[in-house]
Amino acid sequence: MSGAEGARAANGNPRRSFFQRQLEELGARFSILEDGPLATDFGTATAEREQARQLGLCDLSSLPRIGFKGANTAAWLAGRGVALPAQPHRLARIEDGLLACRLSPGEALLLSQPWGASRLIKDVERAWSIESAGLCFPVPRRDSHAWLALVGARVPAMLTKICGIDFRPHKFADLTLAQTQVARTSAIVARADVEGTGCWHLLFDSASAAYMWQVLIDAMSEFDGRPVGCAALAPPGSAL
Amino acid sequence: MSARERLPLPFGIAIDRSRPLGYSFDGRSGSGYAGDTLASALAGDGVWLLSRSFKYHRPRGLFSLAGHDANTMVQVEDEPNVLADRLVLREGLTATPLNGTGTLTRDRARILERLHRFMPVGFYYHAFFRPAGTWPRWEKLIRAMGGLGTVNTGQKHGYYDKAYAFCDVCVIGAGPAGLSAALEAAAAGAEVIIIDDQALPGGALSFAREEVDGDADALRRSLLSQIEAQPSITLWSGAICQGWFTDHWLPVTRGDRLYKVRAAAVVIATGTIGQQVVFRNNDLPGIMLGSAAQRLMRLYGVRPGTRAVILAADEAGYGVALDLIDAGVEVAALLDLRTEVPASPLAAAVRERGVPVRPRMAVAEAVEGRNHLSAVRIAPVVGEGTLGTAGETIACDLLCLSAGGVPNAALVCHAGGSVRHDAVSGRFVVASTPPDLFVAGSVAGTESFAAAMAGGRRAGWQAARAAGFSNPHEPQVEPAMVAPAGPMPWPIFPHPKGKDFVDYDEDLTVSHVRDAVAAGFDSVELLKRYSTAGMGPSQGRITNPVLYRLLAQATGQSVEAVGSVTVRPPIGQEKIGHLAGRGFDPVRLSPIHHRHQELGATMMVAGTWLRPAVYGEGGQEASIRDEVRAVRNGVGLIDVSTLGKIEVRGPDAAAFLERIYTFAFAAQPVGRVRYALMTDEVGNVMDDGVAARLHAHHFYVTATTGGADGVYRFMQWCNAQWRLAVDIANVTAAYAAVNIAGPRARAVLARLEGDLDLAPEAFPYMAVREGMLAGMPVRALRVGFVGELGYELHVPSSCGEAIWDRLLAAGQSEGIRPFGVEAQRILRLEKGHVIIGQDTDGLSTPGEAGLGWALSKKKPFFVGKAALELRQRRAMNRVLVGFVQTSTGPQPLENHLIFAGSEVAGRVTSVAFSPSLERVIGLAYVPPALAETGTALTIKGTGGRLIAAEVSKTPFYDPENRRQEM
Repeated sequence: MSGAEGARAANGNPRRSFFQRQLEELGARFSILEDGPLATDFGTATAEREQARQLGLCDLSSLPRIGFKGANTAAWLAGRGVALPAQPHRLARIEDGLLACRLSPGEALLLSQPWGASRLIKDVERAWSIESAGLCFPVPRRDSHAWLALVGARVPAMLTKICGIDFRPHKFADLTLAQTQVARTSAIVARADVEGTGCWHLLFDSASAAYMWQVLIDAMSEFDGRPVGCAALAPPGSAL
Repeated sequence: MSARERLPLPFGIAIDRSRPLGYSFDGRSGSGYAGDTLASALAGDGVWLLSRSFKYHRPRGLFSLAGHDANTMVQVEDEPNVLADRLVLREGLTATPLNGTGTLTRDRARILERLHRFMPVGFYYHAFFRPAGTWPRWEKLIRAMGGLGTVNTGQKHGYYDKAYAFCDVCVIGAGPAGLSAALEAAAAGAEVIIIDDQALPGGALSFAREEVDGDADALRRSLLSQIEAQPSITLWSGAICQGWFTDHWLPVTRGDRLYKVRAAAVVIATGTIGQQVVFRNNDLPGIMLGSAAQRLMRLYGVRPGTRAVILAADEAGYGVALDLIDAGVEVAALLDLRTEVPASPLAAAVRERGVPVRPRMAVAEAVEGRNHLSAVRIAPVVGEGTLGTAGETIACDLLCLSAGGVPNAALVCHAGGSVRHDAVSGRFVVASTPPDLFVAGSVAGTESFAAAMAGGRRAGWQAARAAGFSNPHEPQVEPAMVAPAGPMPWPIFPHPKGKDFVDYDEDLTVSHVRDAVAAGFDSVELLKRYSTAGMGPSQGRITNPVLYRLLAQATGQSVEAVGSVTVRPPIGQEKIGHLAGRGFDPVRLSPIHHRHQELGATMMVAGTWLRPAVYGEGGQEASIRDEVRAVRNGVGLIDVSTLGKIEVRGPDAAAFLERIYTFAFAAQPVGRVRYALMTDEVGNVMDDGVAARLHAHHFYVTATTGGADGVYRFMQWCNAQWRLAVDIANVTAAYAAVNIAGPRARAVLARLEGDLDLAPEAFPYMAVREGMLAGMPVRALRVGFVGELGYELHVPSSCGEAIWDRLLAAGQSEGIRPFGVEAQRILRLEKGHVIIGQDTDGLSTPGEAGLGWALSKKKPFFVGKAALELRQRRAMNRVLVGFVQTSTGPQPLENHLIFAGSEVAGRVTSVAFSPSLERVIGLAYVPPALAETGTALTIKGTGGRLIAAEVSKTPFYDPENRRQEM
């Protein structure tokens, strides 16, 4: 039993990352969250922080996230303190680093900040009931979608190999998102920079996780990209 | 090969003389420098013979040195058909010549040239097939003679990939016009990508001479330094724009990568392709374009010969003469096809340096020495394409052709523009361009660097404006700058003895073209196809202008009236690897996939998924039977995560299901599960699954693995019309699902902590419960696809491995065994359950498939209801029945046919040996007349062997369904 599996057993958490085996093979160190084990680093935190400025691949699949669909979505979320951007394909940073993405007029995606769980997401999830929310329904994005952060200056160049959208910073602004195809797989790409470094969140079918990991590792190799732990994305001194 | 001293600077601007590189060609070693191409390195080593022609095996050498001809094609290790004049030299490069028989210098197959009378144009359309049976002998010979290079069929797939690139303005060509266009567009704020097919950018600035004492290279360096200083310009050299597609989608090959460039506007500044001049033996090594000789000298520091003749029809020929003189080449004569020698500074300088300049003179014949030009016989031009008596012979080893250029406008043509022949100037010109595509430089007809740059600036400004960037300072181009010089002389001088080549690739001469026209192929597209002119590797770049002129002459039309052939992508040197690129083949894996691998499962493809077919080592058949028996006698566990899973929620959820499925759902109690059958608008079976009601406004629906995405799309499409207050969400990947089945299933589940009441009365068959199990949120459905007590457990996909692990651990004492898809197929067959897509086809109705019980007769509407009612009025012509094999011997297979006498009566859809019943059972479509239980069936098995079977009632196993309802 690997260290990571031991940690899971000790915490009794049955959840695993969609990239669990890839991360364990790379020697990841995990922090056990309510939604599963989060790879904080690979034992080289300082180097990973530097790597993240160039090109890093960070698994955030164990962080809370949830979607909502339906005509009443924006109003119901607003009543819970989550103000969605006015326009689709935009996202907003709100309380405790939560990223509120508006996928369409009636569809939202809430993402935790990249280095820790967002309390507000759990609050919203608990507050929902089919009786009270009207035409607003939760979508289990925590499990339907794997979540990787692509971080660093070379991300747009790397993405040209697998996606037809121009993600360069001056063409694809911070807090913008696209629903597109990445390596022939449907994906949401949302840009939300961290600590002044470009960060593109990639969410896609969780069943395609192993495939996409292999695609990204291959695409990144040309640009010296490597996996990094989520500590590389966190502000200095932040608690993980 | 012996390395010859390269010319000193300023010749040789492309090479790094401090970095020598070794290579081999035709088994002999040579050396060049970094920056050389293979062709220039060979020339530097005195090797001018590069290949043999396709048909006659004539000697061929470099002609354009720009990749426009195919004379330089060589084989480089395992890669055939590489243009040596584009191939950048690298250390240890090994190349071999193409199409030789014997040695390159003494090609035995050149004897074919003497047989040319027996190979008239299109001869292969009339030969090789008479008398009957002769073709196989010819085929061997033709296969041995044909083809270019050798393909290594064992070659491993190289790493080729693709990438997108984005810009506002894409400039094709990095000559004076292209560079100026890029700078102007960038000045307006546009992002620019420049694509240039040469290793050294600069176009004609890097080799041409338009002034006696000018320094074109200084201008080139100045422009490039401005480009380098402009961050919004990206310059790709050694890149080929292979075509133009709608919305300025430009495929660009660069190394082993295909770029898909998206631009808002395009500037084409691709220059011209030097024109061929036709005379006897015009294909010999040593005869090359003047620009090729200049490239050899200016770029690579290679002296192209020792004694030269220049055949000119334009000003550029005089620049060539001056360059040759500066490089120490003796220029024996400059023959000018025009009537008068221009009174230009260049012409005056040539005369001042003692070169005999002879107007209205042409080459009538080139004389072959040892696989090389040894002399030319010259003759006066007395009319269009007509020469007087050939007289003087001038010894030379170099003949430079400078008879103007043809616009390199293939990309313009791809985009819908056109090129036409201008009768006044005798030149081909770009006649039209589509919107947001601009031409500049010599492709647009300019003939000086200054004019090219002025045109480039204007095109760049226009392109930037088309891309949405404005610059108030609109560059102007003076009309005089684009006016062509005097009329271009006719460049074709047929020789009575032939060998006056029109097409080097196919060894086609003037008489071949004329004979084809005389045979009736008198339209340009027909002529091309019959004669194969322009259909070789150089794709007509050199040939086509000559072809058009000859066709016009032969048919008495103007060249403009003849028209031109269709120009299609690619431009050239695009490899299959570029097109194949790096494949993306998404594969979906269950959250439990790795556990299956660890258990030694054999995986099978199921739609986009991989699923475990069977576990364990040993014979697969035995393992499958053991898995079946484990489920029947104890307990088994199967991963069913790939099932489609769809949430249907909202006040109209039940109404939606009433419409989309055939069964009744309005009155379905919360906590119950019902079979859900979907038909299309004409009543054909589409898919099936179950619908679990979790709330009055919430159904959780499953679909088949392969049908899930289609079902979800169909639901959305329907509700886009119905506008019901319902939300539909595809949550297939969000849930892992396992089915624990068998008489001991409840006992195993009971060992896990949780809040589900598993008592049969609390959790009966076809019920659904939500709760916690082993610390995981679970949706548990009691369904019976395999016909045993069973629970389908749906948990968040991140918990997939955990639920699998906990169940296997809890079931250890009960002998729990994982089972795969193959065992599941047998288990369901024993129960007579159909698999949609296997036991149904695109035309199956529920009634035919034995699913008529799943149609609600009370509902006013469901998709397909009206069509089914119409179809039910007609008698069915087939019905799905169960059968058992009654004969011994081999069992039938799926899709084996059932015969009634000599007529095909039906087919087998499913068949397997049942471990529970110890006999072969199956499902088959038969006519209703054969559907009665006990009816004998005849199945035609493998090899035509007849197999006896008998219609049987289903379910075959546990017909009272007691086991699943335990």
